[in-house]
Amino acid sequence: MTPRERRNLRNGLLFASPWILGFFGLAVYPLVMSIYYSFTEYNVVLPPVWIGLENYRELFFEDPLFWKSLYNTLYFTVFSVPLALAVSLGIALLLNRKVPGMSVFRTIFFLPSIVPLVVSSVLWLWVLNPESGLINTTLYHLFGIEGPGWIADEQCSKPSLILMSLWSVGGAVVIFLAGLADVPQTLYEVAELDGAGRWAKFRNVTLPMLTPVILFNLVMGLILAFQYFTQVYVMTGGKGTPVDSTMFYALYLYRNSFYYLRMGYASAMAWMLFAVILAATIAVLISSRRWVYYQGE
Amino acid sequence: LTEWRLITGRVLLAAGMMAALWLLWPRRAVTPAEKQALAEGRSILTYWDRHSGHEHEARKALIEEFNRSQGHIYIRTVPIGYNALMEKILTATAGGDPPDICSLDGGMLAQLAWQGLFLPLDDIVAATPALRPDAFMGHVWPMVAFDGHVWGIPTTTDTYCLLWNKTAFRKAGLDPERPPRTLKELEAYATKLTIRSESGAIEQMGFLPWLPWDNSFMWGRLFGGRWYDPETGRCAASEDPAIRASLAWQQRFTSDPAAEEQLPYAMDVERIAAFTRGIGDYMSANNPFYSGKVAMIGEGEWQVTFIPKYAPGLDWGVAPLPQPEGVPPCGYGPTCIADVIPATSKHPEAAKAFLKWFNSPRPGGGPSPASDYNYAIHNIPCRREDALQDRFIGHPKFRVFVEQLLEHNVVTYPVTPATQFFTDQIERQRERVTFRKVTPRQALEDLDAMVNNELDRVRTLIRRRMGS
Repeated sequence: MTPRERRNLRNGLLFASPWILGFFGLAVYPLVMSIYYSFTEYNVVLPPVWIGLENYRELFFEDPLFWKSLYNTLYFTVFSVPLALAVSLGIALLLNRKVPGMSVFRTIFFLPSIVPLVVSSVLWLWVLNPESGLINTTLYHLFGIEGPGWIADEQCSKPSLILMSLWSVGGAVVIFLAGLADVPQTLYEVAELDGAGRWAKFRNVTLPMLTPVILFNLVMGLILAFQYFTQVYVMTGGKGTPVDSTMFYALYLYRNSFYYLRMGYASAMAWMLFAVILAATIAVLISSRRWVYYQGE
Repeated sequence: LTEWRLITGRVLLAAGMMAALWLLWPRRAVTPAEKQALAEGRSILTYWDRHSGHEHEARKALIEEFNRSQGHIYIRTVPIGYNALMEKILTATAGGDPPDICSLDGGMLAQLAWQGLFLPLDDIVAATPALRPDAFMGHVWPMVAFDGHVWGIPTTTDTYCLLWNKTAFRKAGLDPERPPRTLKELEAYATKLTIRSESGAIEQMGFLPWLPWDNSFMWGRLFGGRWYDPETGRCAASEDPAIRASLAWQQRFTSDPAAEEQLPYAMDVERIAAFTRGIGDYMSANNPFYSGKVAMIGEGEWQVTFIPKYAPGLDWGVAPLPQPEGVPPCGYGPTCIADVIPATSKHPEAAKAFLKWFNSPRPGGGPSPASDYNYAIHNIPCRREDALQDRFIGHPKFRVFVEQLLEHNVVTYPVTPATQFFTDQIERQRERVTFRKVTPRQALEDLDAMVNNELDRVRTLIRRRMGS
């Protein structure tokens, strides 16, 4: 190594050091330690006590709420992620048209994504209020329909949250818009020469060319949906009511760590969630070989 | 010129970093009063108050009096509030920056003390005449003294009574001066006081046992039952017919889809959920009892200050909560609020000096600051002598509350290393019962299993820690 190379290496490391320190201190270290803690009883104040696989055994065989929370989370993910994909793609297609004032519409659709989650949760709590909320009042006064109990109703609580999650698809819309801008115009021209109509162009040009973006949004959506927490914490006061119907996995994990001081158990739960997310992501990535097309292939 | 620019850039960068560091650097003193205290060489302590709003203001005024009363300790107060208190204490302690003193609920105290979070306070109890254990109401002391040590100094305690809206009584044709005295009467009154709209929505609720919050533990005890057996240290609710009866009684407030005829006071559970979701903030004029949406409610003695503050026009009365016939009257003092000193507090001796001052009579024999605090927020003082002061017992409404704790055998939450888990699970099971997911018997069997499992786990852990 020449002195110049050595100096470059040193300077490079120095400039990257905030990230390196942050990554090892705030990501790698906690990650590794949480594996260890998952085999212990740990309350953060006293030193951990090694208990082997006990946490995992309890999770699988003794804790009905673990399964319930997993079910709730899967339910939410299975419905909210595809729905959000479809809605955000639809909005992106609409926002991709060349009409005056489009940037205003784009801003309007993106705005909900920058509202802090706590604020939007409180807002939705009012919108979904069964007695005096915006939706039920409108339903009653305009159509004479008795609206459901939304978040207060055991059957409706998860669908309510799914509905609510569609409010903040702005981020995905922006990514779809970027993807749409990337579709070569020549392909549309060729399709038009072949006599393709609007639907045929969407079906055979837009959609295939967007598949890499769909894959990205799908994977990100999955990861976020599995970790769904803030909204339900705010909207149910951390209780997952009614009758555990909104006890999501991350909420139950949080309850175990901070209400019952079971950091070890919560760490085990976190690793189980990691395994589920990893499996889901791998499954999506493997399946993507069949449905994702990259330009130039 | 380029070099000049480079130098200016570096100087600006350095200045910016210094400014950022200066802004972010943790400070020992922020307000002018704290800066002055620091200049005087005082220790600055942090007090985390479990109370917020006007209740915190009352505490703060007394702490400022302490700050003025001597020259070596300055206490800053932080209104942490009840929400997420456990998380905040835990993370602050784990992060090495706990408050020096913290007020919290008895149930939380029990759970955290077993985990080694707090300093034992035996020495100041022994050295302070006002803190003699027998000066306190009988039910209070066991909540802070267990496992051979005193872990907190109790300052306030609570109880519940039946509050009724006299205007709603008049409208319903009931005698506004005669509250229900038996459960049967309570049910009959609830029927008369419940008003539904044409569509069936609840416009005014007569009575609901789990308003303003779940009180299943209390109802079980008022029915004469026992959730927890202190002899065996186990949750034994499913074997107790009175506990089962109390859950079944709560369940009867929701209509039964399988039944042909509904009880007159039963309401559709979804309607109840919609109603309880729609009610406003507890500490505001929108509290459903203040706004007239609920006619009768089981509420605490603090309402004696809350109602004049948030609903000055409300015409209300207070009476003991009805109990089933044949059950001896029992007082209910579920918990207390106690001051604790975290084990890692940086100023334990100064914190103890404050606790001593706060709980002792003022020089010249005036009431203690703790007693004044209870008076300011209308909570029940934990010391019997304080509760008997005329300003408490002489108040016609407050008196009804205080008598519950002074005249009867008082029951409290069990002191266990898993009390929070225990009470959370009771609420969960009550919800399952009122949503008719399970029978009361099944719910209680599930409760016993879950709670005993948790108790076993925590106790095994405590034993292992002691052994190692």
